Amino acid sequence: MSTASVPFGAASVVRRRPPAAVRRQRFLVAVANHSLLIAAAITFLAPFAFILLTALMTNNQALSSHLWPHPFRWQNFADVFHQAPILRWTFNTMTYSVLATLGLIVSSVPVAYALSRLRWRGRNVAFMIVLIALMLPPQVTVVPLYVMWTKLGQAIGFHFVGSLWPLIIPNWLGDAFSIFLLRQFFLTIPEEYLDAARVDGCGELRILTTVVLRMAKPAIAAVALFSFLYTFNDFFLPLLYTGENPARWPLQVGLAQFRSLHQVQWNLTMAATLLVMAPVIALFFLAQRAFIEGVTLTGVKG
Amino acid sequence: MSPAAIAEASPAPAIDRRRARRKAAWRRRGLVLLLMSPWLAGFSIFFGYPLVMSGYLSLTHYDLLSSPKWRGFANYHYLFHDDPQFWPSVRNSLWFIGIAIPLQVMFAFGIALMLARAKRGLGFFRTVFYLPALAPPVAATLGFVYLLNPANGPVNVILGHIGIHGPLWFQSPGWSKPSLTLLQIWGVGNTMIIFLAAILDVPQHLYESAELDGAGPLRRLRWVTLPTISPVLLFAVVLGVIQGLQYFTQAYVAANIAAGQASQAGDTLNNLGYPQDSTLFYPVLLYQAAFVNNFMGYACALAIVLLVVAFAVTSIILWNSRRWVHYTGATR
Amino acid sequence: MRRIAVPLLAAVVLGAAVAGAARLSSARADTHAAKKTKLTVWVGWSARELKEFKGVVAEYQAKHPELQIKVVGSINDTKITNAIRSGNAPDVVSSFTSSMVGVFCGTGAWIDLMPFLKKDHVSLSQFPKTSLYYTQFKGKRCALPLLADSYGLYYNKTLFRKAGIKSPPKTFSELTADAKKLTQRSGGKIKVIGYNPFWGFYSGNFTDMTNYAPLFGAQYYNNKGKAVLASRFAWSKVLRWQKSLIDWYGYSNVVRFQSGLGDEFSASNAFEIGKIAMMMDGEWRVAFIKAEHPDLNYGTAPMPVDDAHKNLYGAGSVNGTIIGIPKGGHNVDQAWALVKYLTTNDHALAKFSNGIRNVPSTRSSGKSPELKPDKRFATFVRIFNNPHSATAPITAAGAAPGTLIGRFTVRWQAGKVKNLHQGLKTLDKQVDKVNAQAGGGVP
Repeated sequence: MSTASVPFGAASVVRRRPPAAVRRQRFLVAVANHSLLIAAAITFLAPFAFILLTALMTNNQALSSHLWPHPFRWQNFADVFHQAPILRWTFNTMTYSVLATLGLIVSSVPVAYALSRLRWRGRNVAFMIVLIALMLPPQVTVVPLYVMWTKLGQAIGFHFVGSLWPLIIPNWLGDAFSIFLLRQFFLTIPEEYLDAARVDGCGELRILTTVVLRMAKPAIAAVALFSFLYTFNDFFLPLLYTGENPARWPLQVGLAQFRSLHQVQWNLTMAATLLVMAPVIALFFLAQRAFIEGVTLTGVKG
Repeated sequence: MSPAAIAEASPAPAIDRRRARRKAAWRRRGLVLLLMSPWLAGFSIFFGYPLVMSGYLSLTHYDLLSSPKWRGFANYHYLFHDDPQFWPSVRNSLWFIGIAIPLQVMFAFGIALMLARAKRGLGFFRTVFYLPALAPPVAATLGFVYLLNPANGPVNVILGHIGIHGPLWFQSPGWSKPSLTLLQIWGVGNTMIIFLAAILDVPQHLYESAELDGAGPLRRLRWVTLPTISPVLLFAVVLGVIQGLQYFTQAYVAANIAAGQASQAGDTLNNLGYPQDSTLFYPVLLYQAAFVNNFMGYACALAIVLLVVAFAVTSIILWNSRRWVHYTGATR
Repeated sequence: MRRIAVPLLAAVVLGAAVAGAARLSSARADTHAAKKTKLTVWVGWSARELKEFKGVVAEYQAKHPELQIKVVGSINDTKITNAIRSGNAPDVVSSFTSSMVGVFCGTGAWIDLMPFLKKDHVSLSQFPKTSLYYTQFKGKRCALPLLADSYGLYYNKTLFRKAGIKSPPKTFSELTADAKKLTQRSGGKIKVIGYNPFWGFYSGNFTDMTNYAPLFGAQYYNNKGKAVLASRFAWSKVLRWQKSLIDWYGYSNVVRFQSGLGDEFSASNAFEIGKIAMMMDGEWRVAFIKAEHPDLNYGTAPMPVDDAHKNLYGAGSVNGTIIGIPKGGHNVDQAWALVKYLTTNDHALAKFSNGIRNVPSTRSSGKSPELKPDKRFATFVRIFNNPHSATAPITAAGAAPGTLIGRFTVRWQAGKVKNLHQGLKTLDKQVDKVNAQAGGGVP
């Protein structure tokens, strides 16, 4: 950390010294900074590289201490699809992701609007409760919820446990994080826009569905993105609710079981690992700006 | 004040106006209720109700196979006095929150400072440091367990080439949490991006005036950068503590894979916490109680304790934050 | 009057229509059911073994065209419990071990089979005594044995010859001496391990010393159901022997060596590729080796026993796959018929035993002429029938006591337990507490 802070220091000394010394020092600092960055970058990329190299090895090589595959076995990636129902898992993940995300946007936008642009008694208390719900670990309620889905399933004769529904349905009734994020964004919409609409005789619902929604597109995109990432990566709840029903496993649960499922080896496990990482990374490169802006949004407004 | 009321009430005489205003007020309440209804329903079904149930079940023995048997406070007694895994799991979670999370925040801050200073390749470096944060936790953990395999994992092989006898990583109780910490540091991307944005947002004139006062680099970091971005630091710390309290996935996967039990056998899953309970974090203990040992009532007692602790910790942080967080730019 | 009459009439007509429709649809369901009854069977086997099981079921299916049987493999106890809890259970369910029998029988999660056994006059005396023990809890019979397991010694004859060892060890001091002779190291690293006593390594059904109990004559509980691991000298003997051998290798050397090995149930199994010279394992390994490394020159024998109890030689740890019917099933009678066939039919048991080389679990099937003789496999049948062979006790707490014991033993082998006797005493208390916590105790 102290090395990293040098740059700001260097800039400070600048003006009071003769130009030659300044330039030299600036140059040295920049070189030091960049070499540190490059070293760190290599360290950060190395895990990906080794995972890829292992994914291309034969089974015996993966168990040896060789780092470079010989020969390159690209077939591993095809083998993964034969060994495990990757497509089925992907389908389950997508089902979870899409249904949860849609429901979460539809149900969270009105709540966020009421919490940001309407004035009513108890609003701050309500917002505090949303924040608390956001901060408490899900493990606090997980057991009674599991009991609830079990009992409900027995009552109406539908197997909620063993399906993706207990993961999806709660999202249809508002999601604390999305409400929080949308509220923060709605607060930044200038009041004049809303007033203009009001003068035109729009009701609050009209204002919400037209003016606010149009202006909040980036925030909604960010919420959708986070929801996708969350559902794609989610492991704890899918493990609980779909654990005993392999037909409903999403990718993450499948991947965690992959190694023990068919006694498969490290090379195939690493290939599967890469395949599971791929969609998110691909999405990142397609929508890099939305990612960075979305993440920044969560922090700066916090 | 309320535009809907104004629009409707203005042309009418006094009594009518009052009635209309009352009517409008009710309509407003109705509107708020309508807009809030998804959350109200969601909160009561998926939060309020289970919280109450948790409290009740924590006083029973319950396996979901037969009906709950009243136990009074026996579960709590067992928890604090008899369960040999309770205190180790608390210690593990505290270790994680007290060591891994601060390390992660410091790394994120350090990298963000370096990036803010980078003349060339900012976009490239930012992408590189952000990328690991995108790796799904299960996949990242699998990768790390392989990379850190003591016998032939790439890390120990490379260490071996430069003459270092690598540690046992996920296979030893002393190194398993540091290994998870490395994994955590690898995924600093999100925090780093937030820090970077905040640092780049620090007004240049603040540095300049500090410079005029003769402040050196460290002092400027201490008196300009840190105070200005303190709300973001607070955010990172709070988020870290929350994550630390619910840390499950990586610990679960790492223990299972490192234990290396091909679970073709009817695995009783007693490799949770492998090795030697060193990765048995509090949420893992709760999972084990409820879904491996079938002690649902006991798991609820664990949940209630977690609730109290989580509530206390977040309140304390938010309360104390007033002392050291400087809100410069008013956001609302 | 008319004002009431019209809606009343309407209600009656509507009710009749609904009832009629319901009857219609149920009638359709019945004719459908007459065609095929779906039966789902959950088992723990996977890959090659699962194929063998499906083969046995297919024969039954052929005789019963009215059924449509679906077999699902790779099932474990957690999945079974969660499925039953959520009312999602299959018609027939089986588990590799009996560690959860206390929970399954005690809570009624698996239904009582006694009424069915009585109705069909199935005699329990055809099953071995041990198997009868681990398929019930406190007299509630909720399961039957479906083939059985016993643990014995596998040894690599090629490595034995190289080390100049003539015959497999019969006592633990011989085992230790042979293990040291067979171990090969290079520069501190273990290349071949003579015998690996590490708790939690391979044979992963039990991460504790369960499998060593019959070899030392060790008991878990006294007749009041209290844990007695501290007061029975045998346990500390097992633990001291184990620790001394681990220390001879060096704890971290063993850990390092293990982490470089392939999966237990894969063709890279370390015994099968000659990296382990002697190993305690179940009888199924015979079939795995035949399928994966038929050229391996190896032998089987009973595990060696405590030097002070040579009379125990020939005994071993036994257990077995259990099968039963979860509660809430719709086709209980058909499920029972299948369970009865799988667990008592001589041909079915013999065919399955030939396929996966597990010990036949009825007296008559053990003598079946259909059984393919195999010298290496026969060792395990003898171990199973040895009167000193024993299995782990069944408790209401299910897997929890095992977790505690396993937890203690791995701390011990890592050198984290300073005073063994004191540690075992604490462990006894913890086991008693967890049994009390489950509301049961030991029968």
